[in-house]
Amino acid sequence: MKNSFLFGMMIALLGASLLISLALGRYEIDLSTLTQLLLWKLLNIGTAPKEVMLLSNIVFDIRLPRILAVILVGAALSVSGGAFQAMFVNPLVSPGILGVLAGASFGAALGIMVSNSWFGVQLFSFAFGFVAVLVALGVAKIYGRSGSQTILLVLGGVISSSLFSALLSVVKYVADPYNKLPTIVYWLMGSFSAVDMKTLSSVAMPLIFSTIMLSLMGKYLNVLSLGDDDAKALGVRVTWVRNSAILLATLLSTLTVVVAGMIGWVGLIIPHIARFLVGADNRVLLPMCALLGATFLIIVDTLCRTSMSVEIPIGIATSLIGIPIFVFALRNAKKGFA
Amino acid sequence: MSFYSAKNLHFSYNSTPILKGVDLHIDEGSIVSLLGPNGTGKSTLMKLFLGLLSPKSGEVLLKGKALQSYSIKERALHVSYVPQSTQVAFAFCALDIVVMGRIAFESWFQKPSKTDRDLARAAMERLGILHLEKRTFQTLSGGEKQLVLIARSLAQGAKILVMDEPVSGLDYGNQLRLLETIMKLSKEGYTFLKSTHFPEHALMLGGYTYALKNGHILAHGLTCKTITQELINELYHTNIELKQTVCGYPVCIPSFAQHTN
Repeated sequence: MKNSFLFGMMIALLGASLLISLALGRYEIDLSTLTQLLLWKLLNIGTAPKEVMLLSNIVFDIRLPRILAVILVGAALSVSGGAFQAMFVNPLVSPGILGVLAGASFGAALGIMVSNSWFGVQLFSFAFGFVAVLVALGVAKIYGRSGSQTILLVLGGVISSSLFSALLSVVKYVADPYNKLPTIVYWLMGSFSAVDMKTLSSVAMPLIFSTIMLSLMGKYLNVLSLGDDDAKALGVRVTWVRNSAILLATLLSTLTVVVAGMIGWVGLIIPHIARFLVGADNRVLLPMCALLGATFLIIVDTLCRTSMSVEIPIGIATSLIGIPIFVFALRNAKKGFA
Repeated sequence: MSFYSAKNLHFSYNSTPILKGVDLHIDEGSIVSLLGPNGTGKSTLMKLFLGLLSPKSGEVLLKGKALQSYSIKERALHVSYVPQSTQVAFAFCALDIVVMGRIAFESWFQKPSKTDRDLARAAMERLGILHLEKRTFQTLSGGEKQLVLIARSLAQGAKILVMDEPVSGLDYGNQLRLLETIMKLSKEGYTFLKSTHFPEHALMLGGYTYALKNGHILAHGLTCKTITQELINELYHTNIELKQTVCGYPVCIPSFAQHTN
């Protein structure tokens, strides 16, 4: 009862932020004109507003793809963060735990250095995100059977993250400082400004699919968060469940880097706020993470592109806004991350 | 056909041998207590019985079939695990934890049905802890947590409960109440394999006792016959005297406490 009310509220909030974000920008559109345009374009109701060509160009070609990407990335980061936290039974885990973000960043930087096409950069980023996770899993596998799988995975992730961070530094060091290096640095700060319909259409399906699949795995993640022995004794194939969840979460977080570069903090703080709202049950928590993450990122991205005359890199903004929120959320740490 | 047994079990962590040929028989509906000093392989033995570890050689048989030949789901329908302490990092309520016992019965993506929730609540009712259903698991006392975990086993539907030192960390009253619960469930047909650090507890519950030391079974049989003064002193390097009270009930009295007052 309480939950369905909360979900209703969140969906309304997401819709509202979507509308407001569509209206705001260098060329401001008032909400009544925007509504008129949307009704006319999408549902064929009413009449076309004045300057309809210009307006549709701004709304449908420029702002909408970007905002849809923001929604997907916000949801993806938060759901993968929430899933990783459940899997590793640790509320301080973020999507980067297995090195995926470091790997994808290295891949992107390498791609910027060696390739001239945007698609090449995205491909490199995607590939190395997965390579980094494989390195982490490989390290954990070497010492496989003895001890706790989770701790080995975390250590594998630490090793993999460090490795790819070091490799990233190498790429930065050798990259052409006038041409390539600024692009790399800017990419690493995260931005949605390069998103177009083509990028969006190629990543949308896997992002939506993985977000939904991971949310549906909620009850297995619940059991995993009791620890491996408990979960196995309850009849759950722990390794299989964990590997599927890792695969899906890796797909999600790699794709966010492909779309928008490095965006920190979202995957760490949103699950906390969601847990505060709906409790720890992952069947409810993960969908709530998706809604909250999407809304949070729309708000931050809108601030990034409207508050100053130049666009603020979103990775910086999420950190600056995220830190106070996280400090506030830490109050709940005493209560066991309620 | 034996109900639940281990034949010549060997197990080692890396190259350190832990169990060196263990035989153990559990009859249906009985209580089997495992005694032995710390680090002697009690937990390992129980994990082998649960199928959480695989033996290096030898095998565990459940109803005449090798435990390894059961699928993980089938196994969960027969055997359940009550851990010593479950660390729950996130705030699940007690009912959530008990409902998790039903997961083997649900298919992928299926929500716990009304039946599952009812079974979970019935299990809590049976142990007299239904009033805790909405409480956060972490905020429960040690005794309440143990009861919630036992309720989870009951909801799981398995008739065999493997318990790792179920009374550790409980106060005296909760220890006795937990033992009473075990006794009650055993009379209803549940089978228990549990480890304990207290020979007195094994004596209270009766049933069978296996004494484990250095990876070998030192002694086994009916608890009242197996637990002797000599066995306890040999197992734990103590100096106790096993005395009978007026009504014939055995109690351990350590030598330092034998003052006449």
